[in-house]
Amino acid sequence: MSVPNSMRVGPFCASVLVKKKYMILYIFLIWITLLPAILEIWWYWQLLWYEPRPLHFYVFLPLVLLIIYVSTVFAATIFTKIVLVIVNVFHKPREGTFLRDPSDKDYRYWSLRNTLKKWPTWLAHKFPFPFLDNICFKILGVKTKFSNSLFEGWVDTEFIEFGRNVVIGQGAICQSSVIVGNLLIIRKTVIEENVRVGTHVIIMPGTHIGKNCILNTWSSTIVGQELEEGWIYNGSPAKKFKRNRFFEDIPIEKLKISIGDMDGLLKKYDETRVARVTKKRKLIHRKEKEEKATNEEDQT
Amino acid sequence: MNEKIESEEKNTENEDDDSDFVIDFTTSSAINKVGLKFLLVYIPIFWFSGLVVATLWYGYVVSPVPWIIKLLFLPLLLLGFSFLFIFSCFFFSKLLLIFINLIHVPKEGIFRAERGNMDFEFWRLRTEIKKIALWLIRNWPLPWIDVIAFRWFSIKMDFSSHLNDAWCDAEFISFGKHVTVGQGAVIMSSMVVGNYLIIKKIIFDDYALVGGQSTIAPGTHFGEDTVLGAVSVTTLDQDLEDGWIYSGIPARKLKLNKYAEMRRDIIHKVDVDEEEKVETEHEVNIDEDKKHLIKHKDGVDNE
Repeated sequence: MSVPNSMRVGPFCASVLVKKKYMILYIFLIWITLLPAILEIWWYWQLLWYEPRPLHFYVFLPLVLLIIYVSTVFAATIFTKIVLVIVNVFHKPREGTFLRDPSDKDYRYWSLRNTLKKWPTWLAHKFPFPFLDNICFKILGVKTKFSNSLFEGWVDTEFIEFGRNVVIGQGAICQSSVIVGNLLIIRKTVIEENVRVGTHVIIMPGTHIGKNCILNTWSSTIVGQELEEGWIYNGSPAKKFKRNRFFEDIPIEKLKISIGDMDGLLKKYDETRVARVTKKRKLIHRKEKEEKATNEEDQT
Repeated sequence: MNEKIESEEKNTENEDDDSDFVIDFTTSSAINKVGLKFLLVYIPIFWFSGLVVATLWYGYVVSPVPWIIKLLFLPLLLLGFSFLFIFSCFFFSKLLLIFINLIHVPKEGIFRAERGNMDFEFWRLRTEIKKIALWLIRNWPLPWIDVIAFRWFSIKMDFSSHLNDAWCDAEFISFGKHVTVGQGAVIMSSMVVGNYLIIKKIIFDDYALVGGQSTIAPGTHFGEDTVLGAVSVTTLDQDLEDGWIYSGIPARKLKLNKYAEMRRDIIHKVDVDEEEKVETEHEVNIDEDKKHLIKHKDGVDNE
């Protein structure tokens, strides 16, 4: 029900260049967002503290603490947004493939942006209220609707667009930036309405998922993959499994059919994997050929 | 060749094939459309349980104990207060749940997942109410007490089972004894597919073991001594037989669970060993010159 520690990944980036000067900005953000909370407590104290019999003070205290937490999240997101706007003036965030090196300006600013965004998203993610997360994402510039639920999984905070009724499953990862070896790839991920992402799914940057799609558990997409509208996808990389007809009006008796043919299903699942194996075999063949060629050259 | 494929595609589109509606995949049990109206449920739970703590805190502040002793016991008291807060959250959310279940009895089955369907709406409400208390206890530094939480929400569970590191729905699940659930596993007794919500009971028998990061679909039945490997997924209504190891997506039989038999052997061995020890100790502790005094059971002298 609640996300356990092993799955509570929260929106942060796997490998971020955190420089000392970034940390100063980060701590500054934490300091400035806690100021309104202290002000609110002081104001509440002034309003309701009545020395001989502080009944009102204690009765409304839990409620006020709740409000203070929510307002702190708001303050954190707003202050971060202001800093982000200033940072984006210096260097506009853009898509593309960059070098993963401090000398690359895009990589540097991407790290800075992620470091800054960590504090508000962490704060919003730590709270059991799911809609706090949505508000935080919205202010930070992710296009989402309130009908989405993104709080069970892990979602990047820029270059992502969601339609209505999108559900990200438990432990699913939805990225718009990825580090591959020495490269940083940033590409826009678009997920259209009524998409249901299963548990532990990995969505790579540049993926475009059409309307009414379902992603099976443990499937994943590759960079820049296009998923067609109205299909159920399975496997890694995701392949068409069958047509999604669960948005139609079906008599409920039809849905109660159990999976009789288990072996057939296993075959169906295996087919999605075989293609990759053959590819590997091809690679091995190519390597063998190359080795043979080099050996022949050496002999001659 | 191309014409053939096209005609086949047309056929599949036109025909009402039953295999299209078989649910042979697994999605997630995350609820969609989290409305602001759920705040109405959260606020009273938070407020009332906060009040319990606030009254005790007031009593602590007012009490005529010297301040140095108050300071000494403060850490213990804070621990107790947070514990009290969590448990009063449980109490109030359980109270709310009882009322809600009186209005609408939770039941298994397939329902339409849309606004206006009572089963769907109440499923969401139940999930949200349970969420807050479970979230609190999951963030508490004592990992084994979340079993208490699951028991509060009337899940049949024992203290010998362990699922602290897993995601677990809090209804329609029953655990046997000594069930272990690995890190990052997702146990779902409900699942939304397209426009439909599926709720089915999951049953774990004794000594079932679930590997890390695996997903368990609604309706799965785990037999005794069944092992599900890491990164594997069960399909809807899958029945895992007794004493087998399953693995893969979807879970398939890998081999017989020999480890379970070994475990039983070890238990027997331990018993036998202890008996032997008792016998040997008698002989070892006796001095060489007095050995001739012992008589065996058959009455023959020891030489």
